[in-house]
Amino acid sequence: MDRRQFLQMLGLVSGAAALSSCGSDKGQKELVSLLVPTEDGIVPGTEAWRPSTCCECPAHCGLLTRIRENRPVKLEGNPRHPVNRGGLCLRGQASLWRLYHPQRLQSPLKRQADGRLQTIPWSQALAEIAEALQHSRRQSRQNAWLAGRTSGTLNALLEEFCSSLGIERLAEFEPFSHAALRQSYGLLFDRADLPRYRGDQADLLITVGADLLETFLSPVDYTTQASALAADQKRHWLHLEPHYSLTGANADDRLVLTPGSEGSLLLWLLQSLASQRRYRGRWPQALQDLLPASDLAATAAATGLRSQQLQQLASRFARAEKPLLIVGGVATGHRNGQPVALLGALLQWLTALPWGGMDFSAGENYSRVGSLLDLEELSQRLAADRIGVLFVSRCDPVRHSPAALGLQGTLAKARLRVGLADLADDTTDQMDLILPLAHGLETWGDTEPRRGVIGLLQPLRTPQQQALSEGDLLLKLLRQATGKSPAADWETYLQRNWQNRFSRVQLGQLMDDGYLTEPQPQLSIRLDLARAAKALQGLHLQAPLTLPAAVIAPSIRSFDGRSRSLELLSEIPDPLTTISYGSWVAIAPQTAARLRLQDGDELQMKTAAWQSKQPVRIQPGQAAKVLTLPMDSLPAPATGIDPLTGEALRYCEALHLKPTGKRHRLPILAGSPSQQGRGLIPTPVHRQQKHDQQNHGPRASFYPEPHYENYRWAMAIDLQRCIGCSACVAACYVENNVPVVGAADHLAGREMSWLRIEPFYDEQGRVDFLPMLCQHCNYAPCEAVCPVYAAYHNPEGLNVQVYNRCVGTRYCSNNCPYKVRRFNWWQHKRTPPLDLLRNPDLPLRSKGMMEKCTFCLQRIRIAKDRAKDQKRLVQDGEATPACAQSCPAGAIAFGNLLDKESGIYRLVHSQRAYRVLAELGTEPAVHYLRPE
Amino acid sequence: MQNSASAQQIEQDVLAAMSRPSRCYLACILLAGLLFLGGMALWGRQIALGMGVAGISHPVGWGVYITDFVFWVGIAHSGTLISAVLYIFRARFRTSFNRAAEAMTLFALMVAGLFPLIHLGRVWLAYFLFPYPNQRQLWVNFRSPLVWDVFAVSTYMLVSLVFFYIGLLPDLAIVARRRPGPVGKIYRLLTLGWVGSSQQWRHYAKLYFLLAAFATPLVASVHSIVSWDFAVSIVPGWHTTIFAPYFVAGAILSGTAMVITLVIPMRRLLRLEAYIPVTHIEAIAKILLLTSLIVSFAYIVEQGLAFYSGNLFEMEQFRFRALGDYRLLFWIMISCNSLLPMTLFVGRLRRNLAYLFVLSLLVNVGMWLERFVIVVTSLARDFDPYAWGNYTPSLTEIGITAGSFGLFFLLFLLFIKVLPVLSITELKER
Amino acid sequence: MARQLIFDDQQTFLQQLEQLLADGIAGEHLEVRTPYHLSEVEALLGQQPSKLPFFALGGALAGFGGGFLLAALTSLDWPIITGGKPIVAVPPFLLIGYLMTILIGSLASFGGFLLLARLPRIDALVEEQDFDAHFIITIADEVAPCTTPS
Repeated sequence: MDRRQFLQMLGLVSGAAALSSCGSDKGQKELVSLLVPTEDGIVPGTEAWRPSTCCECPAHCGLLTRIRENRPVKLEGNPRHPVNRGGLCLRGQASLWRLYHPQRLQSPLKRQADGRLQTIPWSQALAEIAEALQHSRRQSRQNAWLAGRTSGTLNALLEEFCSSLGIERLAEFEPFSHAALRQSYGLLFDRADLPRYRGDQADLLITVGADLLETFLSPVDYTTQASALAADQKRHWLHLEPHYSLTGANADDRLVLTPGSEGSLLLWLLQSLASQRRYRGRWPQALQDLLPASDLAATAAATGLRSQQLQQLASRFARAEKPLLIVGGVATGHRNGQPVALLGALLQWLTALPWGGMDFSAGENYSRVGSLLDLEELSQRLAADRIGVLFVSRCDPVRHSPAALGLQGTLAKARLRVGLADLADDTTDQMDLILPLAHGLETWGDTEPRRGVIGLLQPLRTPQQQALSEGDLLLKLLRQATGKSPAADWETYLQRNWQNRFSRVQLGQLMDDGYLTEPQPQLSIRLDLARAAKALQGLHLQAPLTLPAAVIAPSIRSFDGRSRSLELLSEIPDPLTTISYGSWVAIAPQTAARLRLQDGDELQMKTAAWQSKQPVRIQPGQAAKVLTLPMDSLPAPATGIDPLTGEALRYCEALHLKPTGKRHRLPILAGSPSQQGRGLIPTPVHRQQKHDQQNHGPRASFYPEPHYENYRWAMAIDLQRCIGCSACVAACYVENNVPVVGAADHLAGREMSWLRIEPFYDEQGRVDFLPMLCQHCNYAPCEAVCPVYAAYHNPEGLNVQVYNRCVGTRYCSNNCPYKVRRFNWWQHKRTPPLDLLRNPDLPLRSKGMMEKCTFCLQRIRIAKDRAKDQKRLVQDGEATPACAQSCPAGAIAFGNLLDKESGIYRLVHSQRAYRVLAELGTEPAVHYLRPE
Repeated sequence: MQNSASAQQIEQDVLAAMSRPSRCYLACILLAGLLFLGGMALWGRQIALGMGVAGISHPVGWGVYITDFVFWVGIAHSGTLISAVLYIFRARFRTSFNRAAEAMTLFALMVAGLFPLIHLGRVWLAYFLFPYPNQRQLWVNFRSPLVWDVFAVSTYMLVSLVFFYIGLLPDLAIVARRRPGPVGKIYRLLTLGWVGSSQQWRHYAKLYFLLAAFATPLVASVHSIVSWDFAVSIVPGWHTTIFAPYFVAGAILSGTAMVITLVIPMRRLLRLEAYIPVTHIEAIAKILLLTSLIVSFAYIVEQGLAFYSGNLFEMEQFRFRALGDYRLLFWIMISCNSLLPMTLFVGRLRRNLAYLFVLSLLVNVGMWLERFVIVVTSLARDFDPYAWGNYTPSLTEIGITAGSFGLFFLLFLLFIKVLPVLSITELKER
Repeated sequence: MARQLIFDDQQTFLQQLEQLLADGIAGEHLEVRTPYHLSEVEALLGQQPSKLPFFALGGALAGFGGGFLLAALTSLDWPIITGGKPIVAVPPFLLIGYLMTILIGSLASFGGFLLLARLPRIDALVEEQDFDAHFIITIADEVAPCTTPS
């Protein structure tokens, strides 16, 4: 044995000894799973991508799920999916937090007599339900199933389940039911459905109340459409609303009208349009006579808009080739909701339908969804003691029904209340039995969010503890109650169903792509004059709301409130107010001045029947006497039911406002709402200055010119397209294991986001969003001041931070003009099982270290490795940071500046390109394209 | 024989201070010790939990700790000024203060040197800051002002220590002679066998002069380098060319104030009135007045530059200092550092020791606030308005600051019992 | 046996020293101890100026060169770009050189002093003497053991 051999043997033996002595039982399990590849072809240490569908809101965007070590670690939009085309909103990004939520329901729970919950086995839960079903049948009480919107094969199974057990399937419950819209389309076109609006093809988009970017139908789809429209100078987007929403903030023009006056506006618009030559021929005189009278002055008075503005709006509307008007959201959530929806539909029929601006064949799948009227009926039946077993699945009617409905009280009358949920909510708090549901990423399934679009769900992680998919649960219950079931388990049922429905090719496509499109028959939508006349006969416009009034507005962060419990979404500030945690009411600066209120002062809002106390946030651009109350700020966000449509009323009028004198500490992350004239987003004045600078020739410098070999990574952010939706922020949090620190640290100014959205308001209250992240400067001020080389410039132009070398002087952060560096003030820990949600490609940072955006170095590394294997350079589009990937608006581009063919090269050399704080000479690699 | 008698008298008077400690003295020691221990405990807690226990945040990454660092380095300066610069200029009143001032320099530097460590996020890796050969072949970034700081403060510390020790050498022999028993042996050991021969004196005098010559530029350079911690950055309010002279003047102002704060009670308690005449204190007061005027000039220049430049960032920064959330501190600073010292133009006030003592305390407060205002307000309002944010010190930071005063006074109290507080040899020579 | 002359008064001491030298006793046979530095003694004994400044100069030059080279060579050893500045950034490196000039200069002077003044002196550590209170002249044995006065 020579020396070499001896050393080899020694290495082998000691390595084996070290491996075999690794850790506890728990650790060993982990070790085995890393060493033995699973049958899915998942190789430890390498990523795998699996298609799936996002179930965080009813839009059901297509996903690509990144799997590392057998668990999903990142969600991305499926670039080819017809709904979201690659984008994913912040809620979608955060839905992994639901998967790994520490408070996920883990096993069936039964409420004891004293109200406490007790864990019970599935067998007991199923037996109790089966018995109760039988019992109530004997007592001739009705058993009922109330669910959130259901589509796909689950719908079929549910139908089968309910019919075989004699359970009444109630109209589905969605807080955003769009009932007024569906009703008006039903009344006028005999088609009570929600079309896909084609904002992408319109040359004029007028949205009345419809919050396209936040919660309207399919937000990612409409974000893509709207941002493209806003970025196009030749097309125009106009938004009308009483309050201040993200949608309004991003429209080309935002007109503020009195809440409840949308009907008057639409009526006047309809009449002035109908008198135009272009539309006169199409407009039936019979309907004209049914409409109430309207004139410019009265409309101006009612809406609070100037006559000139109204005339401009009308003439623009009349001139447009492809105008598209969308009403919805807050515009239908008041007592004039029905007239608004009806008049809106009439205008759409007149202007948008002829050019195909509304696609009913690709309708959003809302046909089974009911309204609050259905819930009211349920409440009455409950009160009359006619309901035996009531199942409530995937919805929270207790929170979303108005107090007047008394649902919380009447629910108690049901003999057995069974809740199906993944997280506890107001409704499960009222349930006798709570059954845990598996997450969409833990189960097989399919969805059909839009007619003709089928999305795939597939299990990418073993379900938590004892949670079951709804399909499995139904089958088990069916077997328990009747002794037989249509299939052994949900997967078999699904397979059989798919085989019946799809061809082999289609099925392969579904499994590979994660979605399937089926051609839909073209529908011809006609105005049924008789029905329309009947509908319009009763049309009566009531007066607008009495000011001061509060608009209860939906939130981009929590949809209807269902995503509220995902902490990541509280960590990311609301884009308009920059408040992260807690509740608030946004008021106009004038109102604040009148009431002597400052940010955080508590304001009491009171009507005869309703009151609320909230800390105020002064919102530039907000109309005086109109308050914006985020839905999440209220325990019950619906104040009443519109008896005509069944929509939730989301307004409070004739408010009595009184400061209480108390002050709350609000985590407002923006240090200033204005950019203080600094030209971070250049105004025309700054553009002139920049021009002057350019005339002085290139900047003189003592320093050598930077030299790069193959790559100079750079980013371009189009501010024209950016809508401030914060999807990039959420993507960054998940991709880079950025710590979520909570309210206390936010109040101390210690949020950790590597990327933030900065809203800057001008004097008129218009806002522009500036995504701010590490600028990877050529002459980075942070690098030179680091005493230990922890911050340095790498040969590809990246400003990198060596975590292990950092001693924590924080000088780099002080010296960063963009203030994008984040210091670890604590040892940040995540509650299990959230600790599993971790991208293993980059380290977790410990206390006392500085961290910041790396341009997703780990993704660049993967692209470079792949290119190296193929003996070439990384091509354009191969390396994409998480933020750029997630952006639904396509505002972020990334690439290699040395590649003159690349998209980034073109953008960086465009007329609109500028760099923030360029006068400091830091030469950032992030270029912004200024809004026009 | 008269000469000799007075020499005896000097020895007796000065060494009387080293007699058995009084109860009051022990109480002071105890108080200072407790403060120091409290500060250390808080630091331990900070190391265990993370920097989050301090009030610093984003964007204000530096707060009280750096303020304390600059403050204590500033205090250190007048020691060197009095012992080295005044030695070279042969200012006779120096003899009254130089020992106390040098001790103050040393102790202030020891305290100051702690703060860069206290403010480190990962203090257990502080050795990364020193250039030493290592297996990573990674050195330090000599382009970083913080490395200049490491060098400047270490140099200053070592040179001051040598200077202090050399000055002490003949006096140690006196103490050794007058203290019988083992304690005297220790002092004897510390003299290294100094015998006062003409050979030794010859080299001693040369060495003392050389050290004074080496230390003199340090007076200007150390605080200049500390000021470059700020001036080399790009933060509005920090990035100014006047920072070096401005900081040096401020350092001497705060140092002389601290000398007065320490010497007036010391003179009274240790009955050294004969050796520290009022005229000498008046001379120090004049230095204080002069540096106060320089500092006031810097304040005016700073504001003037900001508004004359037309630079938005600078203008907002200096508007914020005077009128923003920290305006109270700013105006206290102006009152203490610029307005009140002007009263020293009146000769009677200059010679009024009680007045001088109170004034010196106020100048200390003002100079601490000056550093706080510079450090904090500049970071609180820099380039990106979204990232603006204020800073409030936490109890931990206040406790550690109190602990630093505890350490300083503890060391100083020990010094007056252990070493002669006046240079006996130089007094005899005079 | 060496003879010791002890004085309390500076004036008498200097006169006596002058007298001794005038009597022809060579300076190198006298050891003079004083409580403080007296340049007159140096003049009387005709001592050479101290060589200490050479130590200081040597230390200062070594410090300057060493400081600058330390910064420059370590930067070149692994060239890491920070802030787009040159690898050998002369102004800050000069600063390191300057600080090392003072540090090494001072330490070399101190070391030189110990060397020239023959410190530490073990014999003196044990001997009890009043040199710091009196002026002492010790006359070496070989020179006239019987010389007078007092």
